[in-house]
Amino acid sequence: MNRGLIAKSIREAAVVTVMLAAALTLVEGILSFVLPTVMGDFSDTLLKMPFFRTIIQALLGADIGDQLVPQTFVAIAWVHPAVLALVWTQAIVFCTRVPAGEIDRGTIDLLLGLPVSRWQVYIAETVVFLGAGLLLLLMAMIGHRVGILSIAPEDRPGLGTTLVIVVNLYCMFVAVGGLAFMVSSIGYRRGRAIAVVFGILMFSFVLSFLVQLWAPARALAFLSVLNYYQPLATVRTGDWPIGDMLALLAFGTVFWTAGGLWFARRDICTV
Amino acid sequence: MSLRIDEGSLFGFLGPNGSGKTTTIRVLLGFLRPSEGRASLFGRDCWGAGRQIRDDVGYLPGDLRLYPTWTGDRFLKLFGLIRRRDITTVGRDLAERFSLDMTVPVRKMSRGMRQKLGLLLALAHEPRLLILDEPTASLDPLMQEQLLRHLRALAEKGHTVFFSSHTLSEVERLCDRVAILREGRLVANETLETLRGRARRRFTIRWVHVKDAADIKPPPFLAIDERRNRTWDGSLTGQTPELVRWAATQPIEDLTIGHPDLESLFRRYYEGGGGEADTP
Repeated sequence: MNRGLIAKSIREAAVVTVMLAAALTLVEGILSFVLPTVMGDFSDTLLKMPFFRTIIQALLGADIGDQLVPQTFVAIAWVHPAVLALVWTQAIVFCTRVPAGEIDRGTIDLLLGLPVSRWQVYIAETVVFLGAGLLLLLMAMIGHRVGILSIAPEDRPGLGTTLVIVVNLYCMFVAVGGLAFMVSSIGYRRGRAIAVVFGILMFSFVLSFLVQLWAPARALAFLSVLNYYQPLATVRTGDWPIGDMLALLAFGTVFWTAGGLWFARRDICTV
Repeated sequence: MSLRIDEGSLFGFLGPNGSGKTTTIRVLLGFLRPSEGRASLFGRDCWGAGRQIRDDVGYLPGDLRLYPTWTGDRFLKLFGLIRRRDITTVGRDLAERFSLDMTVPVRKMSRGMRQKLGLLLALAHEPRLLILDEPTASLDPLMQEQLLRHLRALAEKGHTVFFSSHTLSEVERLCDRVAILREGRLVANETLETLRGRARRRFTIRWVHVKDAADIKPPPFLAIDERRNRTWDGSLTGQTPELVRWAATQPIEDLTIGHPDLESLFRRYYEGGGGEADTP
């Protein structure tokens, strides 16, 4: 492990990571506070609206039943598009920095002119990415735990349940990051790499809605990253979704490895 | 292309834009895999052992881009960490010599300052081999002279300088050996002395009478480019003593013989008239 590469990576990613972590803490805190208290008052009315029910079920990936209980709102706070957008943004922005970002801004010559192997560069980026993810989700967890203080203690999910959701979300973060690393390793332009990963995630997001609305789409549900991240089930049972987490980690690892191999063998040209 | 560079030499790598100079450098640094053949530095394969090789190499890219928010001091600190050696002492010494403020972030630096910082980063770890791609770009003449002096001093200490440029004059001022590249092929690899010996000298003859200038037939060792009034301008295709001997027998008022004209020799190489010299 090259300490200099780690320090370089931290130095370059720190500002964006701290900003996104602060935003995620705030968003998660507000959602966890507002959803159970404000929306809870309108739950009966909301459930009578078929569109609303479909949207919520699509987000949660599970049937919400006849009643919107505080646990449902807690789960919504973890799948809210704002939360997913912040987590995905961190993964995409970070993981497209090397090599596509370095090639794009022309600094790759300076970096690879140093006595480091491409794998060293790739691994240093990954280590900092994983650390940044831990920070991001720890902050989200803190925001969430503060936000749910508005819920009656008996309805509040335990710390263990929150932890399971956060670990599941971290696995999704790793999967998205692995995909972004792979796309970045193939390309020359960071903007293009970001667009490709964003496009894949949008497809994934839309697919999770389609699955709820159109029965034939269920056969493709496994292609959606949200299929492996279902906080409502965790809130209800408190069980670890081991299968889903392993699937996400496996996707992430396969994409990451493919990206690393490609980066190590490709020609580096400036654009 | 077959090219061998001796340690401690000042090696000029010349060629017009697009001739393949930068591509060759990228192969040497392990950025590109050779489509055929093999590139090695210090006896090690450039693609397979790139990391180890680059430990002993200082590289200045032709199209230098630096991290915009970093200062010179931060570059020294982090590059030292990456290289696992302290480069701050030499780096600060070079900064003083180059008159470079190390506390200014790159985004606030002029192009010349950035180039100085790039040079400093290439030199700070005192590498065995320096690969400099168009290093004098954006430098003022004083700084260019200082850089050339510094490179000469490094070569005297046994460091090797690989100096890529498309400008003959700076290579001529610095290097002891020159390779010329054209369309990806090496067309010359000679000492500068040999090339000077091969280059033609320019001459000017002023005749006593206009009639002489018009009537006298030039000998075969003179190539006349222009005749005007009493004057002939051209280049010497033979030896200087031949010209002097012949001139002594002619009604000549004045004869001027210039230095070997490397510029036109290089132009001939660049344009394809200099012949192939694919020698190691």
